[in-house]
Amino acid sequence: MAEVTFTLNGERTTVDAPLNMRFLDVLRVKKNLTGQKEGCGEGECGACAILLDGHIVNSCLLPLGSVSGRDVVTIEGFKQTERFRTIQEAFVHEGAVQCGICTPGMVIAAESLLRHNPRPTDEEIRIGLSGNLCRCTGYNMIVAAVKRATKRGEGLW
Amino acid sequence: MTMRIKEDISKAIDKVDSREKIDGSAPFTADIQLEGMLHARTFRASVPKALIKDIRLPELPEGYFAVTREDIPGKNIVKMIYEDWPVFAEKEVNHIGEPILLLVGPDKEKVQDLLEAIEIDYEEKKPVFDFTESVVDFSFAKNDADTAFREAEKTIEKVYETGYQEQAYIEPQAFVGYKEGDTTTLVGSIQCPYYVKNAVMETLAAGENEVRVIQAPVGGAFGGKEEFPSLTACQLAVALQKTDRPIKLVYDREEDMEVTTKRHPAKVKMEAAIDKTGRITGMRSHVALDGGAYIGLSGVVLSRGMLAVTNAYTIENVAVKGDVFRTNTVPNGAFRGFGAPQMIFSIEMFIHHIAQDLGLDTYDFRRRHLVKQGDRTATAGLYRDPIILPEMIEKAVEMSDYHEKKKAFAESDEWKGIGMSFFFHGCGFTGSGESDIIKAQVKLRKDEEDNVHILVAAVDMGQGPKTTFRKLVAKVLDIPLEKVVFNYPDTRYVPDSGPTVASRTMMVVGGLLARAAKRLGEEWEESSEQVVVEQYKQPEYIEWDEEKMQGDAYPAYSWGVNVVEVEISKATYEPTIKNVWSVYDLGKAIDERIVLGQIEGGQVQGLAYGYQEVMGHNNGRIMQKNLTDYIIPTAVDVPKMKSLVMDNPYPLGPYGAKGVGELTLVGAAPAVALAIEDAIGRQIKKIPATPEYIMELIRNG
Amino acid sequence: MVTHHIAKDYQDALEKLSEGTYRILAGGTDLMVRNRRLSETPVPFASDVLYIHNLDELRYVSEEKGHLAIGALTSYEDLLHDERVPTVLRDCLRILASPAIRKMGTLAGNIGNASPAGDSLVVLRLLDAQCVLESKDSTRTIPYKEVVTGPGKTVIGKREIIKEIRLPEASFDKTVFWKVGGRKADAISKVAFGGAVKFSDENVADFRLSLGAVAPKTLRDEDVERGVKGKTKTEMKDSAEEIVAAYAPLVRPISDQRSNAAYRKEVALNMIRQFITSL
Repeated sequence: MAEVTFTLNGERTTVDAPLNMRFLDVLRVKKNLTGQKEGCGEGECGACAILLDGHIVNSCLLPLGSVSGRDVVTIEGFKQTERFRTIQEAFVHEGAVQCGICTPGMVIAAESLLRHNPRPTDEEIRIGLSGNLCRCTGYNMIVAAVKRATKRGEGLW
Repeated sequence: MTMRIKEDISKAIDKVDSREKIDGSAPFTADIQLEGMLHARTFRASVPKALIKDIRLPELPEGYFAVTREDIPGKNIVKMIYEDWPVFAEKEVNHIGEPILLLVGPDKEKVQDLLEAIEIDYEEKKPVFDFTESVVDFSFAKNDADTAFREAEKTIEKVYETGYQEQAYIEPQAFVGYKEGDTTTLVGSIQCPYYVKNAVMETLAAGENEVRVIQAPVGGAFGGKEEFPSLTACQLAVALQKTDRPIKLVYDREEDMEVTTKRHPAKVKMEAAIDKTGRITGMRSHVALDGGAYIGLSGVVLSRGMLAVTNAYTIENVAVKGDVFRTNTVPNGAFRGFGAPQMIFSIEMFIHHIAQDLGLDTYDFRRRHLVKQGDRTATAGLYRDPIILPEMIEKAVEMSDYHEKKKAFAESDEWKGIGMSFFFHGCGFTGSGESDIIKAQVKLRKDEEDNVHILVAAVDMGQGPKTTFRKLVAKVLDIPLEKVVFNYPDTRYVPDSGPTVASRTMMVVGGLLARAAKRLGEEWEESSEQVVVEQYKQPEYIEWDEEKMQGDAYPAYSWGVNVVEVEISKATYEPTIKNVWSVYDLGKAIDERIVLGQIEGGQVQGLAYGYQEVMGHNNGRIMQKNLTDYIIPTAVDVPKMKSLVMDNPYPLGPYGAKGVGELTLVGAAPAVALAIEDAIGRQIKKIPATPEYIMELIRNG
Repeated sequence: MVTHHIAKDYQDALEKLSEGTYRILAGGTDLMVRNRRLSETPVPFASDVLYIHNLDELRYVSEEKGHLAIGALTSYEDLLHDERVPTVLRDCLRILASPAIRKMGTLAGNIGNASPAGDSLVVLRLLDAQCVLESKDSTRTIPYKEVVTGPGKTVIGKREIIKEIRLPEASFDKTVFWKVGGRKADAISKVAFGGAVKFSDENVADFRLSLGAVAPKTLRDEDVERGVKGKTKTEMKDSAEEIVAAYAPLVRPISDQRSNAAYRKEVALNMIRQFITSL
């Protein structure tokens, strides 16, 4: 057990837990932030995705020991932003949500992509989402949603 | 904001449950935290076939307990279509991963420690992995195949093989359970609340009011949460009798992939009798399914597969036999398509190969045998409704430039190919299932504020009933969408409208809801509580003999055409799917964007079944048991897809709707296999048509 | 009783390593998978763990005399966006795993993991990379090819840490990185290929080939390469089959849950052939 301090959704947070606790569990069990999901536990499906220092990472592979001093944003924090609302409207409009289990991860992936590349091509969007598996939609409607978000969100990214 | 469904019902509206899924607040089962919750883990067999001689548990600390077959008050059998599946292994185990007992306690890590300290002595037996022990067999015939074969000018025989397919829903199996007084309540990621309730009642020897099942948001299912959750639910229900605390049971991905039901691997033998004019006059088939260790739903999967034998073609004389073989592997079960994908692959390749072997144009040959309204099905049922396949095929050909491309690719040095599949899907439960087994009932309850509550057991697992049912009822009653309520099914409040399977949800349950809504509208009394109940009645014209498998196997059929274009690398044999075009007749789209989602999702799943998803076992142990090793498509793998939905309303479906959910998967694998075949000039007899298989075909000529 | 420590800084890390035996955890993308146990439980490790992800002083890319120095913890994502990084390495990283893995993954982590299928290792071998290994009392720079000795095996000492990777200055006329996975993104390689060639007038001045996932460690054979150097471009292309035949006995892949030996072998040889004939 150790005390680890980091910024969580804009607030300085200290957690007292084993350093080898998966950060996904820190969030879901200790902080009751269940927006990030466990789909595979091995960094393959992306359902556990969060933003670490502004970039998408798989929280199931992130030990608490690596988060010390870092900046973490989860879907719960991101959803307060206008960028989120733009992405959300785009996902709704394009019918990009079916069962929804992959969706928060897709949103995080979209944000991570657009932060670094505000006007991605279709190919670049697909690569940006390549670490997020979806079994329901066949992806194209999600890609269309991200494209729409970039058009609707002029100036946001 | 009020929204009335004024326009054509197909016009898309925003799905009602998108927002809570997008922001992560929708509470999936694993997200549920309850005061004092315990964790359960399953102790499983590590060998494929053995007698259990002895089990020794470690000393269990206070608060930790085991749940075994001895704790079962009722039957140690999971109630399913065929009842041979134990809740907990009795004296023997029949597959790796078979559940033997649960360990429950407050700290999950400790529970796992205790689980790993369990000692078990097996007397191993010789496991069976080949197709020797048939446990289910069916056969049916139409007219006289023997004579057709005797008098044939030529007969052709080929064998086709299909592999496992893992549903790979992104949310693993999960349940949370708790007692409410005498009632055992289970909340879970499930497709069929009443399957679960009925199974638990039998295992607990409990009454109607003593078991309650609630559907949580489901993170993907595809059939994998149709019958399998009944097994887990029974185990959890038994555990709940030993404590007054809630219990959570969530599978890990590797556990899920190793032990839950998958699509049956199949071996399909096809034989055709051809007359002098080059017409197929007779067809014989044998369908062999690998059922795994327990039968469960395998018999129904077999029958649906067999019934798809002539697919979109009319063949005068048919004889089909099928067997489910028991092997010491994970029991196989429901997966979108349910036997049809295996057969549709086989027949589509076969009819193509027949034409090739006869030196005939494949397109013309298939068109020649195309089914028409008024024809008899493979079981001598009647195609009563209009079949618009020729028009659909023409549209698909036009969209894809099929003939031009086929010609150009044939002349090209590169390995480019284009393939087209025609297919159907029988909507609803096979045969007399709907009237004899399910007996669906729906309820509409209007409260004093004139909100109309939809009370059905149909599960929204992403395919949209939460939206489309509300849309349907709102339109029939001409009331705002907001006045229609449809909560996640809770068996305490909803009647048994049947399982969310077999592409029946809109056609059958929606159909009943539309009738109920119409009646409610006629009897409407403002500001007063009203309840309307509708019961399923089989259309009178349906005649089905279950024993002989003769007559109308399904009340309605949906149709499709898929065209796939591929390019194959000569260095690596990897296929790249360049384009997919499709045309569907599903009667009427209750929401065209939701239908588009089913089209694209189903196609991608079907394509990957055809060329990418590989799962095998080694002495009963699944070799690809995580998402690193079991390959499903990413966003980069998916090509442009263009689709067209035809208008061909089915008179007995709500606004003309027929089944959609499975149709969109069943044609994709043969389409991509035919495209690959076209590209490399070799007959594909096996899926998945992986680069390894393609290389083998090229090398071995 | 296994203990876990976050290194305070680089010196602290070296200090700790001199005092005990640690599993060094950088990005964690391999270690957290290999050691994982169960959801909602801490990941068990067999030995004490030293977390070094926070050591920003090990994140740098700098042009030094004769080589590019890459700090051990520089993420794949950062390398991808740095134009000083050789094209062939960026080509490899662009299609390696996923954006999330690329943010946490490091060359050092990949070297420490020493997987036969490691994609970046194919490029390190191709470019004659050097590894700077440091301990509290020592520093040594050895060629990467001597660092990984087999699957999961390296010569990195108990007290040592990878400090830096050095890519010798080199210019090529053409470099390629190709891989075959089970799908078009986010896939472990069935076969990976790195090729580099430089011509001097019409003659082959430098010719390098490395292969991943077809042998216990990255495959490269300087003897075969020497046989190609000095040929003219035309001679090289004309002798493509001979060159392929020279590699054939060295390519010894296995069959596993991802693919089979015959396929891996044929594809590897095809890639060699394709590289040569496309020049």
